[in-house]
Amino acid sequence: MEFTAILFYVFAILTIGSASIMVFSKNIVHSAFALMFTLIGVAAIYVLLYADFLAATQLLVYVGGILILILFGVMLTSQESAKLNFKTVTVNVVPASILSVTALVLLTYVFTTTQWASRNLETPQETVEILGTMLMSDYLLPFIIAGVLLLIAIIGSILMATRLNSKPTESN
Amino acid sequence: MIESYGNINPVLAVLIHALIPLTIILVYALVAIWGERKVAGFIQDRLGPHRVGGWHGWAQSIADLLKLIQKEDIVPKDASRFLFKFAPFMMFAASYAAFAVLPFSSWYIGSMIDIGVFYLIAITSVLTLSVIMAGWASNNKWSLLGGMRSAAQLVSYEVPTIATVLTVIVVSGSLNLMTVTEMQSGNDILGFLPNWFIFQNPFLIIAFGIFFISILVESHRVPFDLPESESELVAGYQTEYSGMRWAMFMLAEYADMLLLSLLGVTLFFGGWNSPFGSFMSGPAWGFFWFLLKGFMLVFVMMWIRWTLPRYRVDQLMHICWGILIPATFVNLILVALWEVVF
Amino acid sequence: MTTVIREGWTTFKSIFTGMGVTIRHFFKPAVTELYPEEKVELPKGARAKLYVNIDDCIGCNLCARACPVNCIDIETVMATSDVDLGKTSTGNPKRFWLTQFDIDMAKCMYCDLCTFPCPTDCIYMVPEYEYSEFDRTNLVYHFSDLTPEKVDEVKEKAEKEAEEKKKERERKMKEKKAKAKDKAKSKPKPKPKPKQPDNKKDDEES
Repeated sequence: MEFTAILFYVFAILTIGSASIMVFSKNIVHSAFALMFTLIGVAAIYVLLYADFLAATQLLVYVGGILILILFGVMLTSQESAKLNFKTVTVNVVPASILSVTALVLLTYVFTTTQWASRNLETPQETVEILGTMLMSDYLLPFIIAGVLLLIAIIGSILMATRLNSKPTESN
Repeated sequence: MIESYGNINPVLAVLIHALIPLTIILVYALVAIWGERKVAGFIQDRLGPHRVGGWHGWAQSIADLLKLIQKEDIVPKDASRFLFKFAPFMMFAASYAAFAVLPFSSWYIGSMIDIGVFYLIAITSVLTLSVIMAGWASNNKWSLLGGMRSAAQLVSYEVPTIATVLTVIVVSGSLNLMTVTEMQSGNDILGFLPNWFIFQNPFLIIAFGIFFISILVESHRVPFDLPESESELVAGYQTEYSGMRWAMFMLAEYADMLLLSLLGVTLFFGGWNSPFGSFMSGPAWGFFWFLLKGFMLVFVMMWIRWTLPRYRVDQLMHICWGILIPATFVNLILVALWEVVF
Repeated sequence: MTTVIREGWTTFKSIFTGMGVTIRHFFKPAVTELYPEEKVELPKGARAKLYVNIDDCIGCNLCARACPVNCIDIETVMATSDVDLGKTSTGNPKRFWLTQFDIDMAKCMYCDLCTFPCPTDCIYMVPEYEYSEFDRTNLVYHFSDLTPEKVDEVKEKAEKEAEEKKKERERKMKEKKAKAKDKAKSKPKPKPKPKQPDNKKDDEES
């Protein structure tokens, strides 16, 4: 077997294994850390697909940002919540099974009917430069809209934070 | 580069290639831990470790390492076993992985990837997670507080770090640190100064100041060592660790110091370029200059450690969000303007 | 804005001042004494360890009496009339065998009170501070230079002499009594002079 193929299977097993731990674990914090391994595994698979910029972004945004946010949320709420007992028994059996069977059928249909383009990947040169040029030319509008959206989110969070803070100071 | 290893198994060649930075880190960590204690001693008019190994106690770190290997590996009863055991290794793995994109000399760089410094920043964000992991898994309030503090300060200071790196990228126009370094060769400024970025643009001096403060925070150094502030949190996230696992934390911390110093050297001080133009330059001298400059920055970090007292958490956050981040962005615009004008 | 700049300036100035101080100390030679190799010279009058120059001791027991913690233990035996113990360097005559002169340094509290009453200045503090022991009993220092055999011999002799003297005295007493009886019969005789020397007399001399 090729070296990259071995690497692919290692990371695929890591991703799937930690994803299942994330789903089946009863401890929220364990789930969050399992999510970290899943994300790192996915990033590694991106690297194997020559999408190094995407892999680094995945690490920076999901592992370095969102996951820390999740952990913060879990830990700042009380310590007991980490040991909360989830309901592992199935609730709403009928709708759940209908939904999952539908999803399974749809996915299988898509998987079998898609024309999978199978060709050898050639090592792309200068991914970052191409990406940057495209973001600043062809995809300028979505890029700016995304930026504005984030700005609105930041302004909104600052507004909420200052409102929450200003109340007790006024009463004092 | 890997081709230059000759006709050996490619996997083996990759391994050898990857082990070069590891060797440098391990040797450096031994020297730096001893050096830190010597610097502390000299600053306080003492001698520092002086017994082991003869000349100025040079073997002190080796003796400490032997001691740590023999220590019992204690895992607290109610700790989360796997995460507790895994956290130190993840922390070191994250710092070690980041060394892959540093150009040690014109001959050696771990991986010639385009995204270079972006990858470095991305992989070091895993450090934060490993600190939280250690803090939470220890099941100890000091550890948890240390982990939370670490997460808060690392996430906050990632912004000025990335923004100052961005300032340099604006000047260089490349994320690849090898290209960034190559752009800084030669001695043209004012006739004798090397073409380092810090001399090329006056606003980059301010950028370096902000960058240096940020890397002090990112590597948990005094005066920003809140995650492990021993007078408040026992030892922060390291409280429950002992023996080799604790040593891994120590190693990761020192590796992180070196990593960020070397990043600063690459971005502002010309990386492996010799300060004397073509004199004393070449692949081997590249290693020498790069590590020498890195050690100089590490020394400054130690010097600061034994000079300044620790900041409070709110002061730390105020410095970041109130001063550094606005200053960085204003500086970014000024640097860009300077580049456009000159 | 101006306050921010001013405060920032003060901060940076103080940081660099502080770093200037530390770098100056960095290049200063260390003040460390490498203890086991280099030893600090103790200041004059340091109280570190008691020493007795046994050749000068006259066995007056004053130091033992001065000691607030009773750490000095002295046993003296009267020298018999056939031996001359000589004189101390200060010229005082020695009249006692020092069969025991023990100082328990574990008890000693370094008050230095024992050294002042000594008439011959033979007990004093020496600048010697490396005498830690694993066993506390090793901290009892024996200054007497007599061998146990000598001690026994000396004691025996002294006892004999004391007995003889006692006999003598008894004999004299008897004689006295007899003479008194005689005197009662005839006339009285002049009293014999007291011959025995004692501690008190020594003290008064010094």
